Amino acid sequence: MPRPSLVPLLATALAGICLSPTLRAAETAAPSQASPASVPRPTTVVAQEFPAAQVDAGRVLFGAQCGFCHGRDAFGGETGPDLTRSTLVASDVRGDKLAPHLRAGRIEKGMPAFTLPDDDIAALVAYIHEQKKRADSAVGGRRAVDPSDLQTGNAAAGQRYFANACARCHSPTGDLAGVATRHVGLPLLRRMLYPTPGGRDDPSRVPQTVRVTLGNGQVVTGKLAHRDEFTIALLDERGWTRSWSTDRVKFTVDDPLEAHVEQLAKYTDSDMHDVLAYLQTLR
Amino acid sequence: MSSPTFKPCAETRRHRFAAACRPGAWAATAFVSLFATFASAQEVDPRFLLQPTTDSWPTYHGDYTGRRHSPLKQITPDNVRQMTLAWAFNTGQSQPIKGTPIVVNGTLYLTAPDKIWAIDARTGRQLWQHTHPTNTAFHIGHRGAAVRGDLVYLTTPDCQLVALDARTGKPRWTVEIADAKRGYWCTNAPLIVRNHLLVGVSGDFDNLPGILRAFDPETGKPQWTFYSTPPAGTANSISGGATGGQMWMTGTYDPELNLVYVGTGNPTPVLNGPVRPGDNKWTNSILAINPDNGELRWGFQNTPHDTHDWDAAEVPVLVDAPFAGKPRKLLLQAARNGYYFVLDRVTGKSLLTTPFARANWAKGVDDEGRPIPIVDKEPARDGRLVSPDESGGTNYRSPSFDPATGTLIVSAHDAYGIYFFKPEHGDTGWAGADYGIHGKGILRALDYQTGAVRWSHDLHGGVGAAGVLTTASGVIFTGDSTGNAMALRTTDGKTLWHSGIGRVGNSPMTYELDGRQFVLFGGGSVLYAFGLLPAEGKN
Ligand code: HEC
Ligand code: HEC
Repeated sequence: MPRPSLVPLLATALAGICLSPTLRAAETAAPSQASPASVPRPTTVVAQEFPAAQVDAGRVLFGAQCGFCHGRDAFGGETGPDLTRSTLVASDVRGDKLAPHLRAGRIEKGMPAFTLPDDDIAALVAYIHEQKKRADSAVGGRRAVDPSDLQTGNAAAGQRYFANACARCHSPTGDLAGVATRHVGLPLLRRMLYPTPGGRDDPSRVPQTVRVTLGNGQVVTGKLAHRDEFTIALLDERGWTRSWSTDRVKFTVDDPLEAHVEQLAKYTDSDMHDVLAYLQTLR
Repeated sequence: MSSPTFKPCAETRRHRFAAACRPGAWAATAFVSLFATFASAQEVDPRFLLQPTTDSWPTYHGDYTGRRHSPLKQITPDNVRQMTLAWAFNTGQSQPIKGTPIVVNGTLYLTAPDKIWAIDARTGRQLWQHTHPTNTAFHIGHRGAAVRGDLVYLTTPDCQLVALDARTGKPRWTVEIADAKRGYWCTNAPLIVRNHLLVGVSGDFDNLPGILRAFDPETGKPQWTFYSTPPAGTANSISGGATGGQMWMTGTYDPELNLVYVGTGNPTPVLNGPVRPGDNKWTNSILAINPDNGELRWGFQNTPHDTHDWDAAEVPVLVDAPFAGKPRKLLLQAARNGYYFVLDRVTGKSLLTTPFARANWAKGVDDEGRPIPIVDKEPARDGRLVSPDESGGTNYRSPSFDPATGTLIVSAHDAYGIYFFKPEHGDTGWAGADYGIHGKGILRALDYQTGAVRWSHDLHGGVGAAGVLTTASGVIFTGDSTGNAMALRTTDGKTLWHSGIGRVGNSPMTYELDGRQFVLFGGGSVLYAFGLLPAEGKN
């Protein structure tokens, strides 16, 4: 899906960085956001049956290793998404996608890597598919937030709020045209609050740009790759990672999402619902 | 065994506030006699826990006060830059180390879910390990072991209490703490008080009463069970239908008052408030309990009617210090709900309640010192933007009290989350949905009397996972949010040293052996011991 560009002000701010075509492709190919609890569950691509004993073994393992994050029933827990709503699970055939995912994890997003014997992985896969079947046949979602739950705002008030607080970066006919078609219900609300559900280090987020001035006066700019108290790292325009000790260079970082962080302290709940109601008109 | 005379005192380590605690005296006399006693006998007399020596870290918090302040001074602000790796121990687990190891008799005991290792504290060499049989309970993490006599104690995810021979790791006996099949699990580092071993459990995916149990440390025989949310129909059932209030963190202890202080967890169902009207005592509370019989002396609830998973399980730190000009026995807690609390720990009366992290859920503080929740910030069908988020203004990572500066140093988290509840979410376990939106980790030094922030140190990322250790030389040991262990200057939070060992996921600790001070951090699943290089000619 092509990413509509932001209004000129922001576009200029971002113009300094040139994203390579490969990076763009990787971003757009990123898997869907965690726990889109308000959209219908993705349909399982290939129906699969598993022996009851294997499912039982998987239930035990899942409870011990995964339940704390994903809920013991895999329907979503404290930090892990509802796996019965995962497109990865829906497209998996007997572990072809799940097994590599479990072994690799997605550590930067809080999903650990697991070193488990093949039998255990197979049992986990069986259990997850079984739970997906159960969820698909159940009536009334648990822990789900439906788009109809989110219709309490006043769109006219939201439009006024938007004109004051958002229009300097966004335009209803530019970058946000059709935003309510691209994201529905809870995912739209979450993107409106902070546009990276994977958190601040989500690689699919709009990049932060960094401008580093070296000791010899040379300036290097690029996409921020890492920042802590001791190290600043960027991806330069050719895709190479370059890093420096923070005490040896001068640098400035521009985070286009800083305004979204500041906005969190300003919203009342009714402002938030009003703005959502307004965004929902942008189809 | 000749035992030195002890004056019970909660301030087990000397500092300038501890006038009532014979400052300095133990270092000269008790230290020598204790050392002699334990060097010969090896067995850990529970009285040792009253005044631990600097060659040990014999309990989860290091001592009974929970201050995580060590009198060690070898590593100083001036020389910490030279601190270097002494040894590393790889647990080989997929989970990061979340617990604090304990050290007695030169042996270090480290735990993980279903696992305990005994390690030579000088070298990192494994002496033995024990693996508990595979089980189905939650394997979320583990806080640590406890030791008494010749036994070392491990709690397991399936809520068994295993007593092992501290020399060999051979299991001596096992007793059940709670029924894991009902949904309890256990991560707790037990608290030894004389002839009682206190252990709490976890479990908020099912509606289960909160329990704290005491066992005979020698035989494993159950002594008492305390319910924070007594089941409906029983005499003390005041929770308004709420279950939960699990006491999953290790408490602290004042031997003079003979009171154990423990924080209780959130009520269940977690996000569904309407089904459990009222304050839901004693969930999200600090409780003072008599360790001899499990009786409640007093309780202070720091979040009445919680609907955001903000347990009060964070460490209740015990400090004897002036408050408003009067010497007091204080209890300090930086709580998950974003507020800092100071209580008189004799009476449980509030002295101060003030936010230390971003919090938008309360409209003020009531006469008893409790924040007053804003009803409209309870989870709702259309979502409520709430600060802090579910992981809280802080969490189980330990703070540290530094007596020289009079500051409580806390790993804080300024965060927003969005909370949903509708009746269709039911009334079991989580019963709702919530999502973290954004958070920022910051280390804050709070003036213990006012809660004012003396300095802050950006942790450069989201929520931090590292606890805090302070030492009498004026150094803080902790970790940032990205992957560095750090040493900071206590007076102003300035960075003095760092090492990119990976994200520190536990609360650091320290001890001194053969004249060398070691500082330990968990970095990922590896335990790292740092120290200054030994003087020439040694090793
Ligand atoms: C410490 C918490 C945690 C544990 C334990 C955990 N997960 Fe995850 N898991 C996550 C998080 C967070 C994500 C979302 C990562 C992301 O946004 O890409 C995730 C994602 C996943 C996904 C991909 C969902 C999708 O649609 O992209 C699968 C499948 C999964 N986990 C399975 C498991 C299994 C099976 C286990 C146990 C063997 C497990 N997880 C243990 C936190 C956890
Ligand atoms: C200082 C600039 C700035 C301001 C002010 C700002 N935003 Fe944003 N917003 C951004 C950036 C940058 C993005 C990320 C775009 C991307 O990921 O491509 C974004 C993304 C979004 C998105 C997600 C768009 C999509 O297609 O997924 C929504 C919705 C949004 N903002 C709503 C708002 C609202 C509502 C306000 C006002 C309350 C606001 N923003 C104020 C800069 C801003």
